[in-house]
Amino acid sequence: MTEKKTPLLDELEKGKWPSFVTEIKRAAVRSASAAELLPLLERSYRERIGHWKHGGIVGVRGYGGGVIGRYVDVPEDYPNLAEFHTVRLLQPSGWFYNTKTLRTVCDIWEKHGSGLTNMHGSTGDIILLGCKTNEIQPIFDEFSEAGFDLGGSGSCLRTTNCCVGPGRCEHACYDTLDACYNITNEFMDELHRPMWPYKSKIKFSGCANDCTSSIARSDCSVIGTWRDTLIIDPVAVKEYAANGYPIKSQVCDKCPTSCLTYNKETQELTIVGEECSRCMHCINMMPKAIHPGKEKGATILIGGKSTIVQSAFMSWVVVPFMKLESEDDYEPFKELMRGIWEWWDENGKTRERIGETIYRLGMGKFLRETGIPPVPQMVFRPRANPYVFWNQDELDKSGTMLDGSAL
Amino acid sequence: MQKGPASPEVKAKIIAYLETVTKAKSRDVAVAIGEKKGDVDNAVKELTAEDIVEYLYITTTYICLKGKVGAPE
Repeated sequence: MTEKKTPLLDELEKGKWPSFVTEIKRAAVRSASAAELLPLLERSYRERIGHWKHGGIVGVRGYGGGVIGRYVDVPEDYPNLAEFHTVRLLQPSGWFYNTKTLRTVCDIWEKHGSGLTNMHGSTGDIILLGCKTNEIQPIFDEFSEAGFDLGGSGSCLRTTNCCVGPGRCEHACYDTLDACYNITNEFMDELHRPMWPYKSKIKFSGCANDCTSSIARSDCSVIGTWRDTLIIDPVAVKEYAANGYPIKSQVCDKCPTSCLTYNKETQELTIVGEECSRCMHCINMMPKAIHPGKEKGATILIGGKSTIVQSAFMSWVVVPFMKLESEDDYEPFKELMRGIWEWWDENGKTRERIGETIYRLGMGKFLRETGIPPVPQMVFRPRANPYVFWNQDELDKSGTMLDGSAL
Repeated sequence: MQKGPASPEVKAKIIAYLETVTKAKSRDVAVAIGEKKGDVDNAVKELTAEDIVEYLYITTTYICLKGKVGAPE
């Protein structure tokens, strides 16, 4: 093991936060590849050039995803990093483990790989960083024996991810943990065998706080909501008032649809239910006094993604409310996703996410061909949504011009 | 993806097509051999399990005959 100075990286060990540099140094005591990572990263910082390349063929028999091939472009300088592949393992919903399971993960990984992990990656998976090609199949076999399976990578359904949901959160409007587990099991073929134009992600958030950031980071966002009216506990409202909480300025004035009114004299909070957009602001501000309604479920949104072919997109509503209380309720969601993927697979260009395909071809075509009924919740304001196009013949029939005026 | 065993004819056509190219998206294979995309996906699933076809990732996922494409340059 060559000892080299890493002054730039050492800076990252200062301060009060845990440092990945410190952790890699710890791993370097036992792993030759981890030991070479530090000088390589120091070199990249100094030269301002990345020295990694990725892709190619690395995987286990029958699988198209779960292992990402990584190689350095200067293997002669870093022979232990010539192959330094990443393995993704499906995580348990909500990231709940017992210590025995964590030890199992670490023991297998230290035996075959660098020992470095990322718990958890932005994908949600257990990320295992750094192994050689000839170790991939043994790694998979041992993890498989221990009850694990590979996650997604490539042009497939990526590892689904959920918030902690009812496991620890009172706001969850459906069981994100169960939905994620059930739906992941349903789509194992789609997850392990890349067959689409590009990647597709599903993220499950129990409420509009959206702790998985699904609206910006997933092609399909499943966001918990309710379809009746907020529940206001008048006694708890009075307690907030008695404690001097500024209900009007912090809650009512910041309500995006101005649907809440506070009467300071009577200390009563009232709501116009039809105006509520279920954004969670008031519930976050006064969790003891305001609760989601009783008829809970989820809103399904499509098209979120980061910049690739087009700029970053937020996903948009395709199903305003879907019940997700039992296994039977998951079936309509699964059917919906099959139809959407089939349409995208048929129409999408290579490296085009579903949101980009809809953007290119129009929401109207997407809805007509997938059979999803158009509903008012799909648009923020009529004629203000750039993803919705009207056909001239339909406008002719309705007697409306493209600018909204009468013919 | 279609369920059930894949058609041997579709599998043979996929192999024959992949012999003519370095790599291909499975949709392009389906168009080239005139079969349904779902049937091709199902056949590819079996062919990869049989170690005849493998997946290749170069900015998106392709399929190719096993051993035809090496590590990235």
